[in-house]
Amino acid sequence: MNESASAEPGASGKPVRAHPAEPGASGQPVRAHPAEPGASGKPVRAHPAEPGASAIRFEGVSKRFGEFAAVDSLDLDVKAGEFFSLLGPSGCGKTTTLRMVAGFEQPSEGRIFLEGSPVETVPPYRRNVNTVFQSYALFEHLDVERNVAFGLKRRKVASDEIRTRVAGALELVELRGRERARPRELSGGQKQRVALARALVNKPAVLLLDEPLGALDLKLRKQMQVELKGIQREVGITFLYVTHDQEEALAMSDRIAVMEHGVVRQCGPPEEIYEQPTGPFVAGFIGVSNLLPGKVEGSGVRVAGAEHCRAEVPGHVSDGDDVQLSVRPEKIWIDDLEEGMVSVGGTIVERVYVGTTTQVIVELAAGARLVALEQNTARARSDDRWEIGDRVRLGWHPEHARVLR
Amino acid sequence: MSSLAQADAPAAAPARRVAAKPPRDFDRPRFLRVFVGLFFVVMFAPIALVVLFSFNASRSLQNFDGFSLRWYERFFESETLRSSLLASIEIALITMVVATALGTLLAYGLVRARVRWSGAMNVLMLVPLVTPEIVAGTSALLLFTQVGLELSLTTIVLGHITFSISYVTVVVRARLAALDADVEHAAMDLGATRWKTFALITLPALWPAILAAGLLVFALSFDDFVLSFFTTGESPQPLPVRIWAAIRFGVTPTINAIGTFMLAISAVTIGLAIALPRLLGRRESGLGVLLGREGA
Repeated sequence: MNESASAEPGASGKPVRAHPAEPGASGQPVRAHPAEPGASGKPVRAHPAEPGASAIRFEGVSKRFGEFAAVDSLDLDVKAGEFFSLLGPSGCGKTTTLRMVAGFEQPSEGRIFLEGSPVETVPPYRRNVNTVFQSYALFEHLDVERNVAFGLKRRKVASDEIRTRVAGALELVELRGRERARPRELSGGQKQRVALARALVNKPAVLLLDEPLGALDLKLRKQMQVELKGIQREVGITFLYVTHDQEEALAMSDRIAVMEHGVVRQCGPPEEIYEQPTGPFVAGFIGVSNLLPGKVEGSGVRVAGAEHCRAEVPGHVSDGDDVQLSVRPEKIWIDDLEEGMVSVGGTIVERVYVGTTTQVIVELAAGARLVALEQNTARARSDDRWEIGDRVRLGWHPEHARVLR
Repeated sequence: MSSLAQADAPAAAPARRVAAKPPRDFDRPRFLRVFVGLFFVVMFAPIALVVLFSFNASRSLQNFDGFSLRWYERFFESETLRSSLLASIEIALITMVVATALGTLLAYGLVRARVRWSGAMNVLMLVPLVTPEIVAGTSALLLFTQVGLELSLTTIVLGHITFSISYVTVVVRARLAALDADVEHAAMDLGATRWKTFALITLPALWPAILAAGLLVFALSFDDFVLSFFTTGESPQPLPVRIWAAIRFGVTPTINAIGTFMLAISAVTIGLAIALPRLLGRRESGLGVLLGREGA
């Protein structure tokens, strides 16, 4: 994602690498996502939208169904050309938020602006947005070409232009030659591409995507993630992307808003969300949950098992407060520790082999567990080293621990 | 029974030969075939007799004395019977068109409007299907006389439309409920107004169900007796009522001819209801639509 940020400075509004504490010494890659689509040979066009301009703005938007608040005073500003993800568990309000932008739901309170203009009185068919539905929602009685042309026909675009643009859109999603196919003759991945082409061909100000890859199998999903990001870069349209898959959000987004119970818990670029979670929910939802309960004591936290861990204590917590200490698994070292590391002792209770790494689960005290990773690289002969039941010392550099409340 | 005995024979043979044949399916008991077969014989035998004797050369209702169309001639020569037949067709056609239109709109409202009490309304809508027709007939007669409507073809049509709407709604509603609401959202999202969405997306998806429902209503209305009997005027009377009136003066072979003719019309209608959706290029058959099954 750094590539996209550096290629288009300012497109995401904030500088991506704003955090000063970015550790250069971590030595391990944070994420291993597949090759970036920039290498796929497609020409990358500049964003047509004015960079930095607001594409969607939510001002105190709430949506209530009876007593239940699906979305609760939401404030967000999505910039033009941004790939923006709403990430959260099911029922967190992300889809409702999307549907309010599309016009299928009306906010109970607050206002939504599309390219600066309020939209509450604009019916869905006059909003300059298009949606890719999770179920694809293709028109079964129309062939691929007519499906894609549907939006242009409604807007009375000249038939010559419709033909060119439909062909272009099908080219973009690599579906040339399937113009005459009916949706039921297509595979899941192809249907997904038709849905994407049908929306993109209208060149909307914002493309809304509601878990568009949710119905695909894992391999296809990974492949489509790369393609989707490439397409977004190529067409330069603002994407508002709803997903519950944290890996998907991290891999594709310029910025992510993590939602829980209708509220945005944290909003920022993927690195910031991952490396500097501001609360236990975000820390637990993104990546492997590695939270130690404890109490603040001086310049650190006394965690269960009575060990004192040095950590930067944020201003809003004080001595004696109940907090959670969060450390990402790949930041934890086992046994061969370095000078200046925080260290705790524990017993290995489980080893989970997941291919490139093995998760080592260490219990520090009853109810206090940490996951550390062993690299299964050619040099690491990890199998000889740690077994279930071994006593080990875990360590990490103090700047990699976050105190969360 | 002989085929049953034959089929059982290999099972009794030495194990070596049994292995050569796949073992029989224990979840497909054979006696049920006999049972099902008997059922169809008992059900179709009387109908077959009526059809057979409608072509009888003689007046006899016991002995078949050779093939002839004289009873059909007798049927079509009769002015009263002809006008009754035309009246029945007219009633059925008008009922079909009006009930299908209203029933489709009702189904659309029940499924998409999501109003309060829609659960209760979905059940109430079924009441006409389970109301004894004698009740429906009496109440219709009472209503028409109360408001001073003269009994005629119009009153029959009104009665038929009333009970037919439910059938249409049941069939169309099942189809509509299976149609992903997001498909309609997608159309609006792409710039189609609500009306355009209904015309361009919803209606084409509902066509098989609407067609099947319409033909079903035609068949129901065409041979309805009880409600027609209560709401009919003096003349012309619909064919079933006419037959009932004639039968009081003794069963003549003409009745067989009329019966066979009506059977043919009903069979053709139901056949169309099943075949047309398929002919129109849909994968699912009208039968599946009628039974509320979704196309795979």
